[in-house]
Amino acid sequence: MDKRLSTIALIGNPNTGKTSLFNALTGQKQRVGNYPGVTVEKKSGIWKLSQTESLTVIDLPGTYSLSAQTIDERITVDVLSGNIPDLIPSLMIIVIDAENLQRNLFLASQASELGVAIVIALNCWDIAERKGIQIDSKLLEKRLGVPVVPTVANQAKGIDNLALAVKKALGTKANMVRPKWPEPVQEAVKTLKQDLSQIDDASQTLSNGEIQRLIFDASSAVSKRLKGDKAKISAAIEKAKDTVQKGGFHPNAVESIIRFRFLKPILADIIARQATLKNAIHSESIDQLLLHRFWGLVIFVGMMYLVFQSVYSWSGPFMQLIEDGIAHVQSLASSALEGTPMLQSLIVDGVLSGVGAFVIFLPQILVLFLFISLLEETGYMARAAFLMDKLFQWCGLNGKSFVPLLSSYACAIPGILATRTINDKKIRIITIMIAPLMSCSARLPIYILMIGIFVEPIYGPAISGITLFFMHFIGVLVAAPAAYLMNHCIQRKSVSTPFVMELPRYRVPNFKNIYDRIYKSGYAFISSAGTMIFAFTIVIWALFYFPRPASLENEIRSQNSVQLLDESSLQAKIDSAYLEQSFGGQLGKGLQPIFNSSGYDWKITVAVIASFPAREVIIATLGILYSLGGEMDENSRDLRASLKNATWEDGKRKGMPVFNIAVAFSIMIFFALCMQCGATVAIIAQELNWLWAIGSFVTLSMIAWAASIITYQSISFFL
Amino acid sequence: MQFMLLRLNLKQTMQLNQVKDKGQYKVVKMNESQRCISRLMDMGLHPGELIRVRHEAPLGDPISIEFRDCHISIRLKDAAYLEVDCIKASI
Repeated sequence: MDKRLSTIALIGNPNTGKTSLFNALTGQKQRVGNYPGVTVEKKSGIWKLSQTESLTVIDLPGTYSLSAQTIDERITVDVLSGNIPDLIPSLMIIVIDAENLQRNLFLASQASELGVAIVIALNCWDIAERKGIQIDSKLLEKRLGVPVVPTVANQAKGIDNLALAVKKALGTKANMVRPKWPEPVQEAVKTLKQDLSQIDDASQTLSNGEIQRLIFDASSAVSKRLKGDKAKISAAIEKAKDTVQKGGFHPNAVESIIRFRFLKPILADIIARQATLKNAIHSESIDQLLLHRFWGLVIFVGMMYLVFQSVYSWSGPFMQLIEDGIAHVQSLASSALEGTPMLQSLIVDGVLSGVGAFVIFLPQILVLFLFISLLEETGYMARAAFLMDKLFQWCGLNGKSFVPLLSSYACAIPGILATRTINDKKIRIITIMIAPLMSCSARLPIYILMIGIFVEPIYGPAISGITLFFMHFIGVLVAAPAAYLMNHCIQRKSVSTPFVMELPRYRVPNFKNIYDRIYKSGYAFISSAGTMIFAFTIVIWALFYFPRPASLENEIRSQNSVQLLDESSLQAKIDSAYLEQSFGGQLGKGLQPIFNSSGYDWKITVAVIASFPAREVIIATLGILYSLGGEMDENSRDLRASLKNATWEDGKRKGMPVFNIAVAFSIMIFFALCMQCGATVAIIAQELNWLWAIGSFVTLSMIAWAASIITYQSISFFL
Repeated sequence: MQFMLLRLNLKQTMQLNQVKDKGQYKVVKMNESQRCISRLMDMGLHPGELIRVRHEAPLGDPISIEFRDCHISIRLKDAAYLEVDCIKASI
């Protein structure tokens, strides 16, 4: 059983049902990783052909061409030409959309030159047939010279035939018909091969197909592999391009023109269209409405409202259920572990809170992904990006950033996961980086508390409303220039992909695909970000639990023995004292000078640190610090009164109130901009890597800190 | 009406980003050295091909065009690299 499985690759245009086919072949036996050195998702799985035979299947990113404009295309070329160790495919299945043969066969024609055996899966056979398009797959097979198997991937039809064809083709060489290249191109390939062999011995192994890629592609994946003198290599390539140019062809255009010209006679008489072009017209009339300059926008706003509401409120009951469930288990554990206070606190406030801290995000993630996969499956997502694109152009993003950023207003976790719909790597990174600046629902309690104490009583509800709106908007004010800057600073060399986006035909969504997406996003979150969030919670718990000398409690009890304090007030006092002298409390006191210019005393600083795992924790922490217990919420009268009456304990501001309107705004601005959310840090690490995660945490903390100082100082100055 | 006819008859070559009306156009020239043009060519759009300008986004950019069986969105700044003749503008 030690025998290594043969590897086959799956390639195809976007929107061809390639992923459905991959799912149909491999079932749940899939693995997601990264290609070495780049953050392109590598999906592989095991396809059981029969009881005894299995294959490793790699799902390559969907591309229109091998011309290596994007990192996805570069990976595709690298894998297909056997240049990634351990991933050398012995066959490729090219998935082709039966509705758009010529364009899909262009990719097949390019890929055939790389020498790997080919089987073509003619997918969406059923839809084409329903539309009255009949394709003579036998004739196509004969003309192309490679097996053509009709499939309906999302119903797992045609898989058996595909298995037979793959078994037969394994070990053979690709012998798909190739275009006859015009004289100048042949000439250029020949001389380039000769020239390269003088510069680099390794170039001997390059196939003609790979040499072509060097000539046709502006930034070829192949050129990165050549060792030897870079200047000489590019001179040789330029010379070859010149040869093509002199022959009357543009090197960037010749491939596409020749291949399409070559495919035309091959496809003659293959497609029999019956008069019913019903579906195309169907799709067109939907577009008349959904892309209408006015009505399209109205429907778009409605759709987005639905998406937002789904994350913001519909998942609420489920989150409540999880919260109640966790609280119930916590109280059970709490009473069971009464005798061992440390273990009790570890289990209740550490472990169970830690589990709760990430499970709580699941409803939002699942609900958002239900909508996102619905939008993508039907084809509306591309339309949404089309409608909104202009808004994002100037700062280097595109319309596809809209849904992730909107979702981030409810919660950055599902929002950042939603950036998976953005295929341009650079734009995806920028969107992820600015997503935490969208004011999520966890910031709301802080706004309500601060506005409730310091704005509403003095300035009335109208100003309060404006303040609340402003707090939700300030993140965008920072995010827009940040995106602009990042677009100019990160990966400057990799020019972003031109935004030529297909608006695919509307399709009835496939239940299985939707289920699959939802399941995978949830699973990835729990297994990756979930564990990190759990770890954060435990660390923060320990930081605020230890050290815990019993003497402190006894001292407080003896001090208060004369006063008739009830047990709960006494307990609150004890909790407050323990928190104050814990590592976290000491850290807060130590760091207080940093926040001095922001107007924070040590209690606020401690609360800021304690709220690293989740912003809303600040309120419970303030509750404990002011000896009110941890069960305070933003509407609590006691907490509001305590904050109002709090005064500085020492220093030159001794006796002055800690909280005033300047401090209130300083805290709100800090929380609007900071990254006090362990879950967001974890999810960025999951989606990109730790470097980005820590980088964004540090940067946003600095921005928030600076903004809180500016806010405090300027308001204090004017008042 | 007369003005309209005049415009239809003129067959004036223009850049795709300057097209005001929806309708059918013929691609006469493409700037091959642009990356977005390579992308369009890989999707099967070549000089001589007929395209249909279908939609304009609410903010005026991008526009959507259709060629062969393919409906795509393209930004105006990329559309500038395509030159087209008007075949039939629909009002």
